Formats: sequence, C-alpha cells, structure tokens
Amino acid sequence: MELKQVSRYVWAITAVVGVVSVMAYLYNHARAMQGSFTVLLENIVLATMSYYLLFFLFLLILRYAILIFYSFMDHLEGLYKGRQKTTAIYQDDSLLPMISLVVPAYNEGVVIQAAIRSLLMLDYPNYEILVIDDGSTDDTYEKAMAVAQEQDKIPVRVITKRNAGKAEALNTGMSVARGEFILNMDGDSKLSSNTLRACVRHFDDPSIGAVAGNVKVINRENIWSKIQALEYVEGLAMARKAQSFMRAVNIIPGPLGMFRKSVLKQVGGYDHDTFAEDCDLTLKMLMRGWHIAYEPTAIAWVETPTGLLNLLKQRYRWTRGILQATNKHSQALWQPRKSGLNFYILWYMLFEGIMWPFSTLLGNIFFAYVGIQYGLSTLLFLWWLQLTVLDVVAAAYCVVIEEEDPALIFYAVTFRLFYINIIDVSKVFATIEEWRGNAMTWGKLDREGKL
Amino acid sequence: MDLVSILATVILVTTIGTMVIGIGAYGAFKLRDKRKPKKKIVDDLQGEKVANEPIFLKRYVPEAATDAANEV
Repeated sequence: MELKQVSRYVWAITAVVGVVSVMAYLYNHARAMQGSFTVLLENIVLATMSYYLLFFLFLLILRYAILIFYSFMDHLEGLYKGRQKTTAIYQDDSLLPMISLVVPAYNEGVVIQAAIRSLLMLDYPNYEILVIDDGSTDDTYEKAMAVAQEQDKIPVRVITKRNAGKAEALNTGMSVARGEFILNMDGDSKLSSNTLRACVRHFDDPSIGAVAGNVKVINRENIWSKIQALEYVEGLAMARKAQSFMRAVNIIPGPLGMFRKSVLKQVGGYDHDTFAEDCDLTLKMLMRGWHIAYEPTAIAWVETPTGLLNLLKQRYRWTRGILQATNKHSQALWQPRKSGLNFYILWYMLFEGIMWPFSTLLGNIFFAYVGIQYGLSTLLFLWWLQLTVLDVVAAAYCVVIEEEDPALIFYAVTFRLFYINIIDVSKVFATIEEWRGNAMTWGKLDREGKL
Repeated sequence: MDLVSILATVILVTTIGTMVIGIGAYGAFKLRDKRKPKKKIVDDLQGEKVANEPIFLKRYVPEAATDAANEV
C-alpha cells in the first residue's frame, strides 16, 4: 500500500473518529437533558443537511449567474471584434502558417474514411493531415491509406504504430508534424470548414498557447443523445465562453484543440498518467502561464453514446480522469498567491467534479426522506423546481447564443427529471473508486459511424 | 389532491426510481466491464507477441534501395 493511500485512510479514520466523538458527546448531552437521543440526532442531521443544501444552492445560483454574465460579455467581445477592422498577421492567404492535423485512430475503421474526407474539404490553403493508427486490430490503417493514396493536393500521411493509447498517438503526431501549429482531434470527429482559419487567428496574440474549439453532437437520435446535445451546448456556450472571457479555459476538448507546436513541446506533450489527457495537458499549459482561447465558430461534430451503459462508461472515465488531472496539479490548490487564476480554476473543477454530484444526490436523498417520513414531498418538488428553473434559463440562453434548435430547451426538464440523477450516481461511485485507487481501463466507446 | 401535491408525488417517485436505476445501471456497467477478461487475455497475449517488435510496424524502405536489393 502506498504512502498516499495510507494517508487517505488516516484522514478517513480521523473523520469517522471525529463524527463518533461528536455523537458520543451529544448522547451524553441528551441523557443529561433526559431527552430522546434519536430525535435529537435526527434534528441535528436534518438541520445540518438543510444548511448545507442552502449553502450549495447559493453556490449554484452564483455559479449560473457568473457564468451567464461572463459568457455574455465574451459574446459581446466577439461581436465587437468582428466589427473592428482587423490588422491580424494571419489574414493574408500567402502568409498563413502551415497547420498539421493529427488524427489518432484506434479501431476507427467505420468512420476513418469519412473523417479524413471531411478534413480534405477544410477551407485553408496550407495544411497536412497526419493519421496515427494506434495499432488498430481492424482495417483502420488500410482504409486510411486508401484515402491517402487517392489524394494529391493536400498531403495525407498515415503512420501506424504499436498500440500505446491516445496520448502516445498524439505525441507521435507532434513529433512528426511539419506545421508550426498542430490541430489535435479525435478519429471520429468532423470539423466545420472554417475551423483552421477561425482558430489560427487567435495566435496573433503571443500569449495564446492553444485554442479550444466548440463541440456539438451529430447523432441526435434518441433522448440520451438529445440531452447530451443540450449538455454540450450548455457546457460550451455558457461555461467555456465565460472561462474564455476570464482567460481561464480549463479543458481543451479532445475532438478539437489547436496548439503552437513549440508550446506542446515545451510542456512535454501528453502524459500517460491520467485518463483525461486533454484536461491534464490544458492544466500543464495553464501552470506554465499560457492563455487558452475558445473559438465558438470552429466546430467539431462528434458521435455521443446512445445507450445508458456506454454513457456511464464515458462519464465514469471523464470523472476519474479529471480528478486524476486535478490531483496531479493539486499544489496549485494550496498556493493562491503563486498559482493566481489557476487556484480558482482547480477549485472550480473540484466543485463541478465532486461537490456538485455529491450535493445533488444528497439533496435528493434528504428531500425523499423528508417526503416519506413527514409527508413533505412538496419540499422535494420545490427543490427540483428551483434546479429545473436554473437549468431551463441556462438552456434558453445557450440555445439563443449558439443559434441551436429551440426544442433542446425542453430537454432541460428531462435532464433534471431523470438524466442527471443517473449520471450523478455514476460520478459519485467513480469519485469513491478514484479515492480508493481502484484500477481502471481506458474503455473505448464503440462507434456507429454516424458521421 | 391539488396539482402541487400530485406533481410532488410524481417527482418523489421519479427521484427515488432514477436513483435506484442509477445504482443498477452502474452495477450493470461494472459487471459488463468485468465480463471481458477473454478479450483482455487476447490483448495481453498480443501485447507479449508485439512487445519485441519495433513501434512502427510498417517500415519505410526507399524504392531505390529495394530495387538494388532485388538486383543483388
């Protein structure tokens, strides 16, 4: 057993001993007062939970208010910049730098040809495509080669290597890339044609080390994927845009991120020690002082899980991966002066990753108990209603900003009704397993080839 | 029963139901992951087989060199 794991158990035992001591003290107190200990304990627990949930609700409202405000400011800033006469360096076609598109592919035979063909249609005069076949056991390499061989205008290189994971594939792409900038994406993503032009202009600013793109769901075919479509829209139009305004984008999404090659090399590329290598890389860049921009008009269309178990598998990996990345850079959590903005970024990530799912689950259990025990199910309804109102307001704002399908707003109700309850259970278990240090596997999702 | 009470009951039942489904689905997901040892064994065997091979499987051989080798 490692020292770190021992210290975790020591903390847990200390907490349990602390709670037991408080209970023992209360028991003695109750006996002295000649009252019922059970009633006293129930009152204390319920009161504590009520205050905690009130505090959580306050944080949640604050979070929505801040994110919507800053997201709107970012939107206005974008509109204002759009109206300005630009003197950008990367404006003239002949001056545009070369960009290398790195497409890691492991068993993407179903989608790889469509993915490469869509990349060949991008509106940009100077780029190359690098397909890194990560030791696929299907026909990914052959299919990629077939498209590469029929192409003579845009260089397409296909490199096959022993299977070593996505991080290693992206690092291979980085080492062989000829471009000054590198666009990393997933093998199953489809990019909007303006992606390269829209992203590269951000590098006019020398403090920008990378640009995070927008991600949208392409396979909106059932309730699971439609709710995820809304989730993506909210996550990007509200959270990512607000982070962009504060120069604090905390995740460059795997499906679309453009980097300065020099910066990628400076931070040592992708590491293998987390299951959220994109989050880890972003934090490494932030820790070195680089700013990350967000480009909402550069869109990567992705396929999301359409079944519940695959969805849980994805969220389980994301939760543990983000916790691993946060833990890796945890020194910034305790050094507010030295870490600056990164201090807030990491605490925000812990709020979203741990506090939020635990608190919503706790709220549900608390109000369900009160509803059954005391017949006060109205309280649960009001709790649900206030969270749903927040969700609907955020969804309406994001749909308007992103010019998305208004029907998505309806899914904000179903999101709170059942979706997030199921996902939160999985997140809570993932957090506990991560805390216990349980082993986990990558868990690649099966693709259906909807691109 | 007024509308709020009906809605409250619906939300109560849905909340408890979805939490139970969440726990069940999580169990099913973990069970499904555990039921793939055969694939893992196959992967491990393949891993051992390729462990001594070079990382880049398709070695690049210049055409001129290939022709020269054929001539010899």
